[in-house]
Amino acid sequence: MSNTLRPYLAAVRSTLTAALTLENFSSQVVERHNKPEVEVGGSKEVLLNPLTISRNENERVLIESSVNSIRLSIKIKQADEIERILCHKFARFMMQRAESFIVLRRKPVPGYDISFLITNGHTETMLKHKIVDFIIHFMEEVDKEISEMKLSLNARARVVAESYLTAFIS
Amino acid sequence: MSGPEVHSLSPSPITSHAFNGDRSLLAVSLNSNDVTIYSRQGKEWEVTDTLSEHDKLITSIDWAPNSNRIVTASQDRNAYVWQESQDTLTGKVVWKPTLVLLRVNRAATFVKWSPNEDKFAVATGARAIAICSYDSENNWWVSRHLKKPIRSTVLSVDWHPNNVLLAAGSADMKARVFSAYIKDVDSRPPPSVWGERLPFNTVCGEYSSPSGGWVHAVGFSPSGDVLAFASHDSSISIVYPGGPAIYTIKLNSLPYVTLAWTAEDSLVAAGHDCQPIAFSGSAGGWQLVGTLDDTSSSKSSGGTRGFGGVGSGVGRLNSAAFHTFRQADSRGSGSPTSATGSGGTDTELLTVHQNTITSIRPFSGSADRVAQVSTTGVDGRLVIWNVNNVVELTGKMGALRVQ
Amino acid sequence: MDSFRKIDIDVFDEDVLLETELYDPDPREPSQVLDDAKAKAAAVRSSLSKGDIPGALSAVLDNAPYGPNVDDAKTLTLQTLVTILNSTKSSDVSNIVKSLSQDQQDTLMKYIYKGTAMPGWGDVSGSVLLGWHEKLTEAAGIGCIVRTMTDRRIV
Repeated sequence: MSNTLRPYLAAVRSTLTAALTLENFSSQVVERHNKPEVEVGGSKEVLLNPLTISRNENERVLIESSVNSIRLSIKIKQADEIERILCHKFARFMMQRAESFIVLRRKPVPGYDISFLITNGHTETMLKHKIVDFIIHFMEEVDKEISEMKLSLNARARVVAESYLTAFIS
Repeated sequence: MSGPEVHSLSPSPITSHAFNGDRSLLAVSLNSNDVTIYSRQGKEWEVTDTLSEHDKLITSIDWAPNSNRIVTASQDRNAYVWQESQDTLTGKVVWKPTLVLLRVNRAATFVKWSPNEDKFAVATGARAIAICSYDSENNWWVSRHLKKPIRSTVLSVDWHPNNVLLAAGSADMKARVFSAYIKDVDSRPPPSVWGERLPFNTVCGEYSSPSGGWVHAVGFSPSGDVLAFASHDSSISIVYPGGPAIYTIKLNSLPYVTLAWTAEDSLVAAGHDCQPIAFSGSAGGWQLVGTLDDTSSSKSSGGTRGFGGVGSGVGRLNSAAFHTFRQADSRGSGSPTSATGSGGTDTELLTVHQNTITSIRPFSGSADRVAQVSTTGVDGRLVIWNVNNVVELTGKMGALRVQ
Repeated sequence: MDSFRKIDIDVFDEDVLLETELYDPDPREPSQVLDDAKAKAAAVRSSLSKGDIPGALSAVLDNAPYGPNVDDAKTLTLQTLVTILNSTKSSDVSNIVKSLSQDQQDTLMKYIYKGTAMPGWGDVSGSVLLGWHEKLTEAAGIGCIVRTMTDRRIV
């Protein structure tokens, strides 16, 4: 692991642990409703200060927390056009299947590539430290996944180009 | 000294718990619309009754020890008082609900009987506290509202031993002390450190922690002269109204959501870091004493990691399934990869409670000398702790640290 | 959708809680806060030239500006602080954060998050800040991060 990735992930881990202190909180704006306050934003006093952790300009994590839910958004490293396309496709693929990921949000927060929404229901039914582990694991894997996809994409492009150009050699 | 007594009541979270007077019956809300009543059978707790009347999550339960009445509050904006009475048809003794006219239009979040058991306070999300007393002429519970200057959902309340003063902690980051004096019910209270003339809705004090944070729990000391509150900035504050001051203890760990006084000079608080922590002090100052959860002693399951404490690296998810699928996806091989290690140990926390502790109550002993406290949490466990079994926290702080 | 449907009627509720009511305002005037910040920046420079990093750090962390209308002072303080953090040897960080008081640790954590929220600004360096964050979390615990989230006195 590169030397800045470890403190970066450690910072995300500790911030996420601090943010995952959720409780059941019924809406004080609409009666008999209970919804993630971080999404509604109706009552300022139950929102906490959003925190951003960045590794550099292109990689950062935004953690917005509230009394009963947190939203974690990740900006994934995109060095060139191909990575940008791959990242977009990858995130889109995941988010269209958001219900199987449970904590995934269907739409990223503006300025970020992928967002998670964790509510008090999730921390009640799942182990809190395992949710943290999952997010960290995701962050580790997503970079690896995208660079792997980029490699195989390039390899494929080479094969296609070769087989196309062989027609002109003979 | 024996270790804590652990009962796993359910796999689902316990929102609130309350014992009857002689501790033989237990009422809990298992994150649902019903109250489940357990009775003690030897070492086990058996379900004996279910009280269903609410149609949304029950947030709080309180059991009046002497008059043997249960009051429940729920997010459906209602509160019920339950009383044991004989069913006219079957002759069996059943719990009968009486609706309380709360007159609020948001969730009821917390409920507590007054020391004399002639009234109770319901904290609500309607920026108000309903003080309910029994109207014998009409045979129902009527309420009066404490409103000003509450600006947000009230999260917890606690009664002063004089049956008149009420402390409330709310999401607008303030802990307040009100007078809940009701003319027909109360006799004039003697003057105390909180004030002399106390008509209804007098604000006797308003306090907050320097770093803000919702006030999750409030509590009067057994004498009623000291107030403690736990707020979301991971701190416990102890207020001496007549002076000298407010002591705020900032903690290294996650915020506490519940607290109970165990004597005039000590209290126990618990919350998101899954273990009850003891504090002690006097007007001269307060400090953290230690934890009731002796994580260093070996437990049968022997989990090896504390919460937030990390084993080998940052990402340690056992992703055998992931690898299997990727193997199948990219190489077409269907053979299962050998499972890496046993994933069992790192799912267990070092502490007895495996998730947030949501409520803590005195269990045995007198009010000013509590011997045992009971806790319940999101992990569905009921634990009874010896208050005197305090273990110093030092040395284990390493386990709480994040790598 | 008609525009009237987008009007946030809740702000007209007289009971609504405003952001500014959630914390006690700074008693100092904005101009005075800026002067204080400038004086501190000068003091920090002299401390740094003597190599007294703990002294410089506690000077800048006490009475840090917060609240509205003091953006200049906030920027200046952040700049000063980043200079200190950058000029500290990474082996000393652990001992320095341990020597700070709890309030100072909380304030330092706020500034670290403020710095890492604006990568590429001035001399802000991600790796330096993350290194400090790690050591500070070790010394002050997760509670310190929780306080950064709850404290409305944003630096």
